Amino acid sequence: MTDFQMISQALGMVFTVSNILTIFIGLVIGMVIGCIPGLSVTLGIILMLPLTYTFENADTAIILLLAVYVGGMYGGSISAITLNTPGTNSAIATTFDGYPLAKKGKVKKALDTSLFASTFGGLFSAILLLLCASPITKLVAGFTSVEYFSMGILGISLIAGVSGDSLAKGIISGCLGLLMACIGMDAVTGVTRYGFGLDILKYGIDMLPAMIALIALTQVADKLREFKLSDGHLDDANKIDNEGLTGKEIKSIMPATLYSSVIASIIGAMPGVGGGVAQFMCYNEARRISKQPQNFGKGCLEGIAAAESSNNAVVGSAMIPLLTLGIPGDGVTALLLGAFILHGIQPGPTMFTKQGPMAYSIIIGCLIANILLYPIGKVLTRAVAKIVQVKYTLLAPCIIMFCFAGAYAATGNTKELILTVVILWLSYLLNLLKIDNTPLMLGMILESIMEANFVTAMMSYDRDVTVFVRRPISAVILIITVVLVVSMMKLNKKIEALNAQQEKEMAAEHAAADAAAAEG
Amino acid sequence: MKKFNIKTYLWSGIIMGAFALFMFFTMESQVRLPAYDSGAPSPRLLPTIFITGILICSAILIIQSLVFKKENITVFDWEKEKPMLFIITLITLYAIGIIMLGFVVASIIIFAIVLWYCGERKPGIYIFTAAAAIGIYYLFKYVFYISLPDVPFFMGG
Repeated sequence: MTDFQMISQALGMVFTVSNILTIFIGLVIGMVIGCIPGLSVTLGIILMLPLTYTFENADTAIILLLAVYVGGMYGGSISAITLNTPGTNSAIATTFDGYPLAKKGKVKKALDTSLFASTFGGLFSAILLLLCASPITKLVAGFTSVEYFSMGILGISLIAGVSGDSLAKGIISGCLGLLMACIGMDAVTGVTRYGFGLDILKYGIDMLPAMIALIALTQVADKLREFKLSDGHLDDANKIDNEGLTGKEIKSIMPATLYSSVIASIIGAMPGVGGGVAQFMCYNEARRISKQPQNFGKGCLEGIAAAESSNNAVVGSAMIPLLTLGIPGDGVTALLLGAFILHGIQPGPTMFTKQGPMAYSIIIGCLIANILLYPIGKVLTRAVAKIVQVKYTLLAPCIIMFCFAGAYAATGNTKELILTVVILWLSYLLNLLKIDNTPLMLGMILESIMEANFVTAMMSYDRDVTVFVRRPISAVILIITVVLVVSMMKLNKKIEALNAQQEKEMAAEHAAADAAAAEG
Repeated sequence: MKKFNIKTYLWSGIIMGAFALFMFFTMESQVRLPAYDSGAPSPRLLPTIFITGILICSAILIIQSLVFKKENITVFDWEKEKPMLFIITLITLYAIGIIMLGFVVASIIIFAIVLWYCGERKPGIYIFTAAAAIGIYYLFKYVFYISLPDVPFFMGG
């Protein structure tokens, strides 16, 4: 089947009433979760994941999760603009200009700019994904189990290298996840590993309860702690006016939007660098090429456009390594990889040969989600913005209930509930020790794929471990792993320093502006 | 002692290293070798690689901390950690409660304690939470066809 035939078939699969409704629901849920400070896109995806178990089509399930991702990226800007508190990490740069503009009473203009740029960035990267996916998979079509195992090492090493403050901690976290996933019955030999005579460990640790504990429950518990420590104080949000974005203003923000979309798409496609990094780089670049760089940080539309187009552009481009190579670029795509596996889809080159129409239906679904974001955002932003003011004590119990119901739904066994709380305590310990739990989660997700490929490779090459360095492509992947980890660590350190400087400068500028306003 | 510093490099190395050693020494009893050779690699091979990875990195962290004095120190403030520990304890009790009392009853009891602890005194929020528990229970039962744990004696669970 040619790519064109697969795309035609995928179009028929995506354009159904139920799929469009699914995208709509996903976008709204993503916007709601994204706009609540402290709740991330990952939490939204985790909450939705158990619900997708009942879906007949796996591609519909993935499209729903992608719609949550797209909606969440835009939703993060709503609280960034109205409250000066980014809903997600990827919306930090949006506060630099979004909030000052909101303080001037132009909330609607700021939100419209954010929506336009988000839609543009998202569409740009989704089209890039559609165009690049097939050629990349053809390039790596000759991969065998040896190369797939090496790709698994590449994926975990990259995430470990850029997570937290130390590479050693990142590797510990990744190995811990891989080791935890080893618990239970070995699929090849039938031997139970590390069961310790406990029934709950006999069949291993399911991926979903682990993801729920590591990401969702950890976030909610942390947010409840903040609520308790601040005595439930909520910041006042700026009211939304009626003055939207004009055609002339759209024209003025186009260069920044386009430039940021291109940069963020390139950055997002690199495994190990996420939206958080892209936004600052794009913001700086937009400021550099702007005709009025002095306006940045004072409510400049170009600044909002640069930040928002970048974080939505990352959504599509981050899917490129995931769909074509099976390597997640960051925590969100790691979670999506888990969702793929839970739904019986194996991302990577074979996906386009064995499940081609499904692969394209996911890509087209992502494209449609970005198209629908604009009208849905136009109509619902005002309503969604009100949720920022909902007390967290109303939301937290519902989220925790959903988490446990979802964990239980994984297998329908109460052992999942016990495993969830045990992993929650582990997550608390890791947070205390400043060990990022993203590599752990990825290790748990990738272990079964890596082990299956490892066993196949070992059996094919008479248990010769050196095959991983003897086969040229595998050796190249392992060399690339070392080179990329070192260079990504350096790049991230540089960008972190740049971000810190940028945030400091912006905070100082905002403080000065507030002081001047108070005096006036 | 209400506040103390945690040397995260050193303690990560010690805790994770101790865990890796425990897994290493229990491997013989916990990962039995198959009775016959199927040609597949030993089921101990990959866990050994992962344990070795943890051990090497733990040693690196300890050396970085003690020899090269490289550290990332975090402050354990009891006043800030107390609410977190209390909330995680309540979540733990919630999981046990779901198994023993069922989803709805456990949700109503535990979240009433959570809300009270967070300073909520108005009855409306308690009613909303109880209604949400019942709503989620029926949502999973009738929409997603997943029966969450019931009260063992009254609901036939």
